[in-house]
Amino acid sequence: MSTATARRSTTLPSSPIRLTAGGIIRSEWIKLRSLRSTIWAYAVILVLQIAIGLLVISFTVSNLDSSRGQAILQSPELATAGATAGVVFAQLVVSVLGVLVISGEYSTGQIRSSFAAVPKRLPVLWAKLAVFGVVTFIVSLVGILLAYAVTYPILANAGHSSNLFDSAVFLPIIGAAGYLALIGMLALGLGAILRSTAGGIAASLGLLLVVPVIFALIPVDWAHSISDWLPGSVGPAIYQMSGTFEWWQALLIMIGWIAVVFAAAATLIRRRDA
Amino acid sequence: MIEAHSLSKKYGPKTAVDDVTFTVRPGLVTGFLGPNGAGKSTTMRMIVGLDRPSGGSVTVNGKVYRDHAAPLHEVGVLLDAKAIHQGRSAYSHLLALGATHGIGASRVREVIEMTGLDTVAKKRVGGFSLGMGQRLGIAAAMLGDPSTLILDEPVNGLDPEGVMWVRELVRFLASEGRTVLLSSHLMSEMAQTADHIIVIGKGRIIADAPVADIVSGATTASVRAVSPRAAEMARLLNSPDVTITSIDGETLEIVGLTSAAVGEVAATNGIVLHELTPLRGSLEDAYMNLTADAVEYRTGVFDPANALQPAAHADPAKIDAPHEHTHAASHAAPTHAAPSGPEALR
Repeated sequence: MSTATARRSTTLPSSPIRLTAGGIIRSEWIKLRSLRSTIWAYAVILVLQIAIGLLVISFTVSNLDSSRGQAILQSPELATAGATAGVVFAQLVVSVLGVLVISGEYSTGQIRSSFAAVPKRLPVLWAKLAVFGVVTFIVSLVGILLAYAVTYPILANAGHSSNLFDSAVFLPIIGAAGYLALIGMLALGLGAILRSTAGGIAASLGLLLVVPVIFALIPVDWAHSISDWLPGSVGPAIYQMSGTFEWWQALLIMIGWIAVVFAAAATLIRRRDA
Repeated sequence: MIEAHSLSKKYGPKTAVDDVTFTVRPGLVTGFLGPNGAGKSTTMRMIVGLDRPSGGSVTVNGKVYRDHAAPLHEVGVLLDAKAIHQGRSAYSHLLALGATHGIGASRVREVIEMTGLDTVAKKRVGGFSLGMGQRLGIAAAMLGDPSTLILDEPVNGLDPEGVMWVRELVRFLASEGRTVLLSSHLMSEMAQTADHIIVIGKGRIIADAPVADIVSGATTASVRAVSPRAAEMARLLNSPDVTITSIDGETLEIVGLTSAAVGEVAATNGIVLHELTPLRGSLEDAYMNLTADAVEYRTGVFDPANALQPAAHADPAKIDAPHEHTHAASHAAPTHAAPSGPEALR
């Protein structure tokens, strides 16, 4: 390397550069798509949705007996039962990815590069939240629609037909994709608080899998009432239109969880040394 | 231009940076020198807002770093080579970093070419050597064409060609009128690169002066004379302003006289001299003297036999010892310990 090369490349750019919200969002999009873990996790989500949808619907159809069979075939829920069957597994993958989006920066030291470029710091968190939320929603929606598409012929053969543009069909499908995006965002917030991959994954999977079991083991009513408010419990109300809450109440509860977690994450990120 | 005023940083009960005030001027390469753990990196992190100062303030070009509209255009920073996600390619890393400021792919390719990373740009950073990581860090620092560069141990892990390149690069950047602050625990590296040196030890500024002043201020020039009649010489040279140390039966170390004066005395009295060598302190000695009281991690008990070794290692790095052999013992004053063994000097 000679001084001549250095001279040529240190010329001032013609247009003045500035830090912008759009630029930070673009930066987070580049970061998300340039990691293998992202590609793998989204591929697994797609495969899970389709495979579990096929499995559930094939099993249901082949076990229809004459007495209850007609009742099941008439039920409107059957149209989306297969399409949303994978959500309960996909939410685990989405949680892990959500944690990795931020903990990966802390464990590698990348966060110092990110915060040196955006010294106000919080725009990085909001951009990550927005980009990851939108991308996860889209990928989940594609997976669920594919699961709907591959289970449709099986159901049609058995005598059940549905219309995707029927609100009883598209609302649960959009709800399921939205729920997965929200679960992923919650995990991202927990990762931002804990700054560690292991800790973040333990916290978010613990909240989904372990905490409900603990509440279920406490033999008093209030424990069960609290259990209904957990993120994993309100999910089915959003994508199966069943459970204690209306879908919009469940959605508000999820958003409340995310708001609380991100308020804590934002406070910590502003205060802590990077 | 970087201006720090009464800057402090405490981690719990431990004070990493203790009330430091300094100015780093444009157009010069300023060296930030100190033993490991002296507070160099902490200070640099505070300049770009990664660590929050416990007290005092620091501004870049008149503003706190976080208040600039285009931070990457104000300061380019190399904090450590591993402040990069290992799973991303060098190209993607730079593209994502630049995107925040609307810096496009053409500038990314420019800095990749400039740092000689063309062939590995699409490879994942996890497989990079330390030297390649440093080059990528420097590429990232140059991305926004900043008016101020902060480079923490930039030559760490670089091969000799890379070291030369960094030296030329920072000198060139300073000549363009940019502000350059680079840290090192290697005095010899600083001597060849910096115009001005800020020495820091135990979180405090020990010295803040041009390179030449640091050397002359912290070392004393002396003369070594070897003669079979050393004892007689010592008696003749003796005066209140002159300090004479007898190294062995025939060798004297004289502080306070020039070699010419010593030679004159010998000739006048018909004393045969086998050797007459003016000794000048090297930067390493200056550094050792300055930081002797400020080393964070000491190596056990001082042992004169071991003390010979660091000096011997430092030998090739001495910049201004005019004669080939500097007697190691002459500068290993029995009161100072090596910061952390021979490694600290290399």
